[in-house]
Amino acid sequence: MRIACVLIPHFPAAVERWRDPALRGRPLVIGETPDQRKAVLDCSPEAEAQGVRAGMPLRQALALCREAVFLPPHPSRYSDVFDSVLVVLEDFSPEVEQTSLGRAYLNAGGLARHYEGELDLGERIIRSLREATGLVAGVGIAEGKFVAWAAAVTSEPGQVCTVPAGKESEFLRPLDVSLLPASPDTLRRLDLYGLRSMGDLASLSPGPLQAQFGGEGMRLWELARGIDSEPLRPRRHEEVMSETLRFPTVAVSVEALVVACRRLLVRLHWRLRGRAARRLRLRAALWGGRSWEKTLTFHEAVTDWERMLFIAKSVLANATLPAPVEELTIELSGITEERGRQSTLFAEKAGLRRQLGETVRQLRARWGRPLVSRVVEVEPWSRLPERRHALIDYEP
Amino acid sequence: MTGLSPLKQPRPLTVATDESGQPVTVVLSGRRFAVEHVEDVWRIDDEWWREEISRLYYRLLLEDGRPLVVFHDLVRGLWCEQSY
Repeated sequence: MRIACVLIPHFPAAVERWRDPALRGRPLVIGETPDQRKAVLDCSPEAEAQGVRAGMPLRQALALCREAVFLPPHPSRYSDVFDSVLVVLEDFSPEVEQTSLGRAYLNAGGLARHYEGELDLGERIIRSLREATGLVAGVGIAEGKFVAWAAAVTSEPGQVCTVPAGKESEFLRPLDVSLLPASPDTLRRLDLYGLRSMGDLASLSPGPLQAQFGGEGMRLWELARGIDSEPLRPRRHEEVMSETLRFPTVAVSVEALVVACRRLLVRLHWRLRGRAARRLRLRAALWGGRSWEKTLTFHEAVTDWERMLFIAKSVLANATLPAPVEELTIELSGITEERGRQSTLFAEKAGLRRQLGETVRQLRARWGRPLVSRVVEVEPWSRLPERRHALIDYEP
Repeated sequence: MTGLSPLKQPRPLTVATDESGQPVTVVLSGRRFAVEHVEDVWRIDDEWWREEISRLYYRLLLEDGRPLVVFHDLVRGLWCEQSY
């Protein structure tokens, strides 16, 4: 199958530079300030040229690149921009797979007929992405995902590299084995054996490789020969429900965040109408323009908002948010179909609650706005009286 | 977008002060009340890193026997009444 790999290297750094053109051409390191004991999330090619790598401690990055600009990460921003990239790609093919930020594959089978060949297809993809998002991608088109990726990674940004069918082995032959998806230990051992290029690996018979490296050796041998049967896994368009709450003043306590979560989950619960969700994403817009997000996948689909709150609460209690929260969003996805619920046999209290809920809903329908509110504790320990309690709409 | 409505929001108030800056009269519902006694004074400073909050609170006893908490917003120069 012809696959196109669209690659935007150093995606987070590319997004930051697109937002702030003053950063262009300057070494950029993303991952807080260097005085913090955290790791580099991403860096620009200029910083990479000076030895900075994703995952290394920020202090080490500073030591390697003194003139680098250090920026805090904005994960929500990166995923939003990458979503726009995927939407552009879906204009070309309905089958688009997202693997990581900045890398996507699409089914290019038969697409070249609609254009002046595969080169034209790749160039149009690059142009459309540049117009829609301002980002510059590289495109590789080949048989199978690995060769398409190798074509994209070895081409310059803004360029297209196509590998004709049957020429995979020839294309891969001079490339470095470090491009293979192998563990650091395997790469070290390949180097010790003097196997530096994919051609070196492909020229061996698979037996000795399998004997040395097990199943991984066989897989690497196949990839080095351009044999990649890994299927494309197009992303599914699933229903996502989200609710956002903006704090009147920034929230600095877990208690305030939990109150907000409760409010958002109750609203989402009513929108679910008996269905269950498998994933919950917490997104926070932080003071100073930063963001934070965390995705939770439940062991089984959850209908009960109180259970979702319990899980969200434990995450918030253990999270270290780098700044106070201005806005909190909860997204529910992996939404299942409606399912039956077992009623309780002794339901007097539940009956009263249902009656109350029905009355509140009728009032809202009659007046077009919520009329019943509830007082909740936000920051009861605050020295500022207006921070201690708040009114929220009563959601039965 | 949904929201929280904070309770006990400060309400602006007209206050006359003496030379030392202490309230001597307050205007409530268009009527002026003399301050019988200042029962307590305390200061709150917060959020210097964002929008600075600096308030000087007074717990007052008015001439009609009613207690009232007011504060002087030292950043904006306003007087406000607030349930404490």
